[in-house]
Amino acid sequence: MTPSYLSRLLLLSNASFFVVMMFFGALVAWMTPAAIRRTCAMGPRRAARWLLTLRLLPAALSAIVVAGLCVPSYLRFEPHISNEEAGLVSLSAAILGAAICGLAIYRGFTALLRSTLYLRRAGGRGSIVNGEKVWIVRDGAGLALAGVMRPRLLISEGALAGLSSDELAVALRHEHSHLESGDNLKRLLIQLAPPVFPGLRRLEREWVKRAEWAADDEATGGNPQRSAALAAALVRVARLQTSAAIPELVTSLVAADEDLAQRVDRLLEAPALAEAANRRFEAIVFASGALLIGGLAMNLRLVHVLLEHFLD
Amino acid sequence: MEILWSRGESNVRDVAELVDRPLAYTTVMTTLDRLFKKGLLDRRKLERAFIYTPRLSRQDWERQCAGELVAGFLAGPGQSGELLISCFLDNVGHDAALLDALERKIKMKRKELEGRNS
Repeated sequence: MTPSYLSRLLLLSNASFFVVMMFFGALVAWMTPAAIRRTCAMGPRRAARWLLTLRLLPAALSAIVVAGLCVPSYLRFEPHISNEEAGLVSLSAAILGAAICGLAIYRGFTALLRSTLYLRRAGGRGSIVNGEKVWIVRDGAGLALAGVMRPRLLISEGALAGLSSDELAVALRHEHSHLESGDNLKRLLIQLAPPVFPGLRRLEREWVKRAEWAADDEATGGNPQRSAALAAALVRVARLQTSAAIPELVTSLVAADEDLAQRVDRLLEAPALAEAANRRFEAIVFASGALLIGGLAMNLRLVHVLLEHFLD
Repeated sequence: MEILWSRGESNVRDVAELVDRPLAYTTVMTTLDRLFKKGLLDRRKLERAFIYTPRLSRQDWERQCAGELVAGFLAGPGQSGELLISCFLDNVGHDAALLDALERKIKMKRKELEGRNS
């Protein structure tokens, strides 16, 4: 089979995407147990950043390699007229790469759609509670942050009536912390990066847990009274909830399948102070990635030769 | 139905004013007429307009819907009933005994904190 110039570019991009995704996906999945053990010694916010970076790394690197190396080297060095044939391996990799891209788009789109429908169905009326703009809804997940671009803080009438003023204040601060750290956007990025190995799913679950802990710490600020009030709010909201599915892009105060006991114990035993912002890890990962990609970008011909071999 | 349940007796104009998106008067009139024909609303004529009232309260209506759904499942073939029961169990949410235990723990902690402060 001799594909045209543009078809070859498409084939090469998809195949490279698949190979890089598999390589880094396997590497990250292999590192997952050690990475999770390492995060146990960290504060929750820092641990959440580590876990999210690792979770998104294979997809992000694959996209960067394709957009930053494969496409430019191909456009620069590949002759327009060529009778090169595509090998079976590269063709299979391209099909799988296209399937992963399709799956990513499908997951992202359905997550956005479900979140939009959830918000539309919840309806509600806007109000100000404890200085926070909220939407009071009839039913729902008790307290939740829904949506990505313009997230709404939803509170059910049951939760509003059932929580005492200190419980409500600290629960709202918890949700505000999710809002500040853009957790729903991070959830969307996770949807756009399909977990090609089971280890990636484990990283995702751990990230959700640490993000909740981080929001707990930021809401309570190390104050034991506020920690006890948040623990009480969690139990009260859990009583109002069923395990009915909550869309992926909705951050609920209490997720139906989470280990509530562990979270309550953590709040009661050792109220932790929120951590100071430290983005050293992301900076190191970003700098290493930029150096590697930058180095290869300086030598696009080498990249092109490698890709030629791969295509054959 | 939501408007009629919360407001009680209403004519077409009242409902049209309270719907959360702009709808033509005739659209609301047709919808209310259909709900009347389906047996969900009662109506009486006052001067030249119909006044509508819900035939069932929200609670009765929800009970009727749930009853019909359950009856439909139980009358279904094979494992429909079992599926329904397993679905109920899945939706019960957090374990009530665990929540009670956590609540007791929180109460004790709060008492301890109050004692420390006083």
